[in-house]
Parts: sequence; structure tokens; C-alpha cells
Amino acid sequence: MRELKHRRWGSVLLQSACALLVCLPAFTLPSHAADSVEVQLQTREAAPRSVEGPTERAILRDYRFAWISLTRAFQSNRLDLLEGPFSGEARRWLTDTVREQQGSGLSRRYGPQTHKLEAVFYAPEGDLMELHDTAQYHVEFLDAGKVIGNRDVVRHFVVLMTPGADRWVIRQLQAVSQF
Amino acid sequence: MPRPYILCALLWFAATSVAQEIGVPRNVTAGEDVHLSVSGSGTATLYLFGPGLSNKRDVILGRDIQLPATDFTTAGEYSALLCSAGDCRGADFFVSAAKPFSLTFLVHPSRVPVAEGDAISGVAVPFDKYRNLVLEPETIKFELTDGKASVLNRSLPTKNGIAWFRTASGKSAGALQVDAAIGDISTRRAVQQVASDPCNLRITGQRNAGGILVQTEPVHDCSGNPLPDGTIVTFTATSSGDKSTVDAPIKQDVARAQIIARGPTTVSAASGVVTGNELRIGDR
Repeated sequence: MRELKHRRWGSVLLQSACALLVCLPAFTLPSHAADSVEVQLQTREAAPRSVEGPTERAILRDYRFAWISLTRAFQSNRLDLLEGPFSGEARRWLTDTVREQQGSGLSRRYGPQTHKLEAVFYAPEGDLMELHDTAQYHVEFLDAGKVIGNRDVVRHFVVLMTPGADRWVIRQLQAVSQF
Repeated sequence: MPRPYILCALLWFAATSVAQEIGVPRNVTAGEDVHLSVSGSGTATLYLFGPGLSNKRDVILGRDIQLPATDFTTAGEYSALLCSAGDCRGADFFVSAAKPFSLTFLVHPSRVPVAEGDAISGVAVPFDKYRNLVLEPETIKFELTDGKASVLNRSLPTKNGIAWFRTASGKSAGALQVDAAIGDISTRRAVQQVASDPCNLRITGQRNAGGILVQTEPVHDCSGNPLPDGTIVTFTATSSGDKSTVDAPIKQDVARAQIIARGPTTVSAASGVVTGNELRIGDR
């Protein structure tokens, strides 16, 4: 009898653990989605300077980090997340966006993203790079936490990046209808 | 309720509850008013999401909405959502950059030796008055003048919003003016051109009471520019297997050094990567 009870409890525990494992991703979806940013970089067409290996790795790392920061900033309406990876005009409009969202109770939530980056210009002295990003993602618009609209989109961005003290920063991030 | 009444009620409901629709402009230029056409009846909430913009407002359906130009100064993608009775309809549109207003101009290096190939480069990027990158092709005129002569005068179209050049430095030491212009908008940078390596470094010398006094002839680069004061000339004296070296700065085009040496002595001079003639001076 006691053995039967033990088995029953074991079964309940096992089922609970499985249910927890199944449910866990649903609770952690927002932060997981923010981190789910895949970036591919093509540098063959970059001119007049060819992109060096370490620079290519830095661009991949810093561009991905910038989108993770943007995603989190737009979702949680936090300005501090924009301080490192963005500069100049890009930082100006991203900051304005978050401030407006803070004031209106709106936010945006991005799903997993894929960014196909192509370097189209790399300055002779290596101090400016222009990239074209074809991004694919799901975005939701929220009012007071309630989804009011969503889109599955393929979007094109023209990006200007410059080297900072310890990373490449995005100075211009401009969505265009086509390249 | 008899069936005809039910049918009438349904038809009346369908006729009066037309779902709201939203029409957005196809192309908008930064800094222009935006007109949205909305259909339906009653009231709704209009949400606008875009670069630097996230707001909502109540609107009356069936009336066109005029949105202020100040909301659309940043180029990029905007989403308009119209929500009424729990139903939201949306449409997206793009705002493109206005005409060029300013020119960002990066020039390298800030200091360059004269007559050096592909030594100077410049990158020009036009922006509109709202700091949007102008992606429509524009022609940028690059002009490099070194006071006496034009070093470069070239008009280049922007590609993906950027125009660039690379050229040799001029032949005269001094300030090189580097101008980029797009229409009546221009930006100026300056590059300091300095004399290049010495050309035909020649020395003369003679014995005196203290040893040997050697000096260069006026030191110029191959374009005839005098080398700046302070440029080091290294004199090397070899006498009976002993070698001594003296570094002397150029002062008013000439470098001088007093070398202590006895017996027949060979003196040579070098500055940077350039070596001069050898001078043989016999015993007194």
C-alpha cells in the first residue's frame, strides 16, 4: 500500500516537473525573444576598403547587441539600454521613441529576428561603414500591455556605423521601402 | 420575433456598423504634413508608431485626419493603427529624407607629406535638415587647393548616400584647402602639407681648432620645399676605426655639427630614410 502511494506521488511529481518544463518557456518568452537575434554579415561588396576579419567579427557582435538592446528598450521602455550601442541621430530617435512610449503607455515587442547585413561602403581610413540590413521579424504593438496590433515583416534598414572606443556604434538606422 | 423583422434587424446592423478602414499616403517626405483617410462611423483610437513617435489620440471615423509635419521629421517606417470596439486595422507607410541641408565631410589625414600618392581621402555624406541620410543620388563637388594650384577638382555622384575620393597630396608645403559642395551647401576642411623627405642631401666640412665643422647645404624635398626647423640630420664620422655620431637639428634650412676627430676622417649624413654624400677630410 505504502509502495503504491510512493509510486503515485512519484508520478505526480514527474508530471508536475514536465508541466513546469513545458510552461517555463512561455513565462520567459520576452527576454528569450529579445536575445533571439540572428545576424549574418556579407562583406564581399564592401569598398573601397575591404573589411578586415576582426572588424567583421566586431560588427557582427555589436550589431546583434544593438538590436537586443533596442528590443529590450522598446519593450520595457528603458532609456539606459540605448546608451552603449547607439550614437548620434540613431540614439536621438530611439530615445525619443522610448520617451514617447513612456508618456503614452505604449510599447513594442519583437519576436525572434533575422538580420541579413551587407557592407556596401567601408571608408578608406576605416572610420565609417554603411550597411544594408534586410531584417525579418514579428513585432507587436501594445497599449498598457495589451496587444493592439502585430506584423510579420521583412524590413530594410540603411545603417551607418563608426568605431567607438571599444565597439562599433550605430549612428544612423533608417528604415527604407527598398534599397 | 417574426422572421422578416430579424432579417431587417440584421441588415440594419450590418449597414450601420461598417468596420473602420485606414488609408495612408504612399510617399511622404520628412517634415511634411500627413493625411490619413479613415472610413466608418463613430469614434476610434488612432495609434501611431514610428521612429521617434509613439502616441495615440481619439478620432472621429469618416473624417480625414491631418497629422502635423513635426511628427514626421525622422525618415523611416511608420505604422498607423485604428482601433474601435476592440477591432484594430492598420497600415504602414514610409517617410523619406528631404533635400540635402548639410554635409558631413571626413578628411584624412590632418598632416601629410607633399607629393605622396593616394595620401588624402575624403568621404562626404549629405543629410537633410532633420539629420536624415539623403539616399537619392546627389552630385558632390570636391575641390582641393594648395594655395598655388588646384590639386583636385572633381564632381562625383553619391551612391547609397555617400561620395568619396582619394588623391595624391599637392606639391607645396602649407595648408591644403579641401572643399566638398552640394549645390550651395559646402563644407571645408584643411590638411597641413609638410615637406617630404630631403632630396640630394649634401654636406660640406672643414677642420677647425675643435675638430671638424660639418654642415649641410640648404635642405629641401624634391618639390623644393625647405624642411622644417628641427628636422634631425645625423652626421657620422669614422676615423681610424672609431665611429662617432652627432644629431643636429635643421635651423633655417641648414644643419651644422662640430665633430671631434683626429686623423683622416670620413663623414656622412642621413635624415630619415635619405643618406647624403660622403666627405673625406684629411689630417691637418
